[in-house]
Amino acid sequence: MPSTPMTADALLSVRDLRVTFRLPQAEIRAVDGVSFDLNRGEVLGIVGESGSGKSQILFALMGLLAGNGRTAGEAMFGGRNLLALSPRELDRVRGSEMSIVFQDPMTALNPYKRVGDQLAEGLIVHRGLSRDAAWKEAVAMLDRVRIPDPVARAKAYPHQFSGGMRQRVMIAMALLMKPAILLADEPTTALDVTIQAQVLDLIAELARETGTAVILVTHDLGVVARACDRVLVLYGGQVMEEAAIDTLFDRPRHPYTQGLLEAMPRLEGEETARLGTIPGTPSARRGPGCPFAPRCDRSIAICSQEAPMLLTNGSHRIACHVEGADAAA
Amino acid sequence: MLRFIGKRLWDGGLTLAALITLTFFVMRLAPGGPFSKSRKISPEVLANIQKTYHLDEPVWMQFVRYVKGLLTFDLGPSTRFRDYDVGGIIASGLPWSVTIGIWAIIVASLVGIALGVAGAMRRNSPTDYAAGIVGIVGVAVPIFVIGPLMQVIFALRLGWVPVGGIEGGWRALVLPILVLALPNIAYISRLTRSSMIETLRENYVRTARAKGIGERRVVWGHVLKGTLLPVIAYLGPATAAIITGSILIETIFALPGIGRHFVDAALNRDYPLVMGITLLYGALLILLNIVTDLIRAWIDPRLRNGR
Ligand SMILES: Nc1ncnc2c1ncn2[C@@H]1O[C@H](COP(=O)(O)OP(=O)(O)OP(=O)(O)O)[C@@H](O)[C@H]1O
Ligand SMILES: [Mg+2]
Repeated sequence: MPSTPMTADALLSVRDLRVTFRLPQAEIRAVDGVSFDLNRGEVLGIVGESGSGKSQILFALMGLLAGNGRTAGEAMFGGRNLLALSPRELDRVRGSEMSIVFQDPMTALNPYKRVGDQLAEGLIVHRGLSRDAAWKEAVAMLDRVRIPDPVARAKAYPHQFSGGMRQRVMIAMALLMKPAILLADEPTTALDVTIQAQVLDLIAELARETGTAVILVTHDLGVVARACDRVLVLYGGQVMEEAAIDTLFDRPRHPYTQGLLEAMPRLEGEETARLGTIPGTPSARRGPGCPFAPRCDRSIAICSQEAPMLLTNGSHRIACHVEGADAAA
Repeated sequence: MLRFIGKRLWDGGLTLAALITLTFFVMRLAPGGPFSKSRKISPEVLANIQKTYHLDEPVWMQFVRYVKGLLTFDLGPSTRFRDYDVGGIIASGLPWSVTIGIWAIIVASLVGIALGVAGAMRRNSPTDYAAGIVGIVGVAVPIFVIGPLMQVIFALRLGWVPVGGIEGGWRALVLPILVLALPNIAYISRLTRSSMIETLRENYVRTARAKGIGERRVVWGHVLKGTLLPVIAYLGPATAAIITGSILIETIFALPGIGRHFVDAALNRDYPLVMGITLLYGALLILLNIVTDLIRAWIDPRLRNGR
């Protein structure tokens, strides 16, 4: 068990979250014992390469895993364990107290329904509004995410929107119910570089206004630098390092994090920094040791034999046999 | 939307015109005429008969005459059933074929879609397997096996319905409707199942779930439309085929539909009748395709601006 201090006033406390997928011949551990807290009003970043389990963390919280997926662990939110709710209880939480913006705005909206109807739906179900009242609020929200001519656009269908506009619609949909938590799964990766910053700023701005806490998943360190308060670095479904944003960029300790930062262009405000420029690729098959050991240039014997514990030094957490020792000291 | 409908109708009209021309000339160019085999006929009689049916005129004159007739729904006289015209023959047989066909399509759609949806929502459940078995039986076992089998069970053994014929009101139509529906139930349920499984995997369905609106609303409000699009595309042409009669069903159950007439007519080179039924089928096919397209465009806004 990771030694994680329980923050009493955390909005969301995730403990030892595991997501496994059953396949005909194998079982995939997509998320492998992840723990973290999300505080009120904060923006928590989750970074990691493709396949590191970022999306599956969010899907597990929302009860949206694929049919062959199973969860274990605990995710306490408002006195309830999200992972143990019945479908009906879960439906009272998702969409109203906690909502999500997906990775791909092009396919996330229903092509057969007017955008206004898709927005209004949640209000009708959760708040019992009439269709007219719900449409009014939907239109107002479209206006707030700066969709021009929102009254007319609410009557349009998704295919009549550009990618950036669709992602704005998704953000409007997610924030319409003024949720306590917004989960944003790489909300800008599918968009043009020029509108990535706009959409990101929009999320940050609206979240600040409504006091919504955000988990922002990305593999773009530029995005992290721009929007997050705290960051969780994920590798192979495990937390490698967790730190406040300044600490992470100034004094990264985990070799993986250091590699990420070195691979990132030094230009300030550069939005195109991507992960994956560390030599090697994440291996799917995993031994008992640290998942990053096969690619780590500082690994020692124990790294491939025993998984490092996540050690805490103040708000800085790190899972590394080499670096962790002095982190705890 | 109006432009869309107009364009569809115009396209349909052109297709129909092409169909009329094609069937006419194919029939005329086929070797042998309606009176060339059978008994020996003296040249004078033959000439006389040919005159009656305007077969002595040049082909293009016959074509003009035919098209003129069509405009007033006059399909000309049958060359086999001397005292009947084609319109009359079709008018007497069509109601039976249409009644049975429409009911069969309704039954097949309701049962097929229900089975497919149930199978997709509870994959590998007993319902799913049951639907799968119905699907295999419906597709693999031919009508001329299942028809007599049902006659033996439900008519001869149990005596619930007549074996055949049209005496006995609606009861007489139950078996033919079921037998005609069965292969369609099979096909529609499989189509619905796979379409729904595919739709359930769509990202927008995940978005709907994420809204916490309940599974029922997710399925009715978000999954169903996408699921039904391919099913509707199948139903259009299937309806056209089914209501223009089935020779097998009509033979097995001794029904006076138009499926038998068509085969008879073809065997006897009864040009006007063959053409009449072909045109009827073609026109229905075109019309139902237009209806299908309109329904699909009504569901899917992306189809509305024409192709
Ligand atoms: N239904 C599934 N069955 C089996 N494995 C799955 C399933 N869904 C996801 N996975 C696996 O889980 C792992 C983590 O996936 P996840 O979607 O969380 O990655 P990610 O970090 O979001 O990557 P990306 O940046 O590409 O979105 C991947 O290796 C993926 O192949
Ligand atoms: Mg992802």
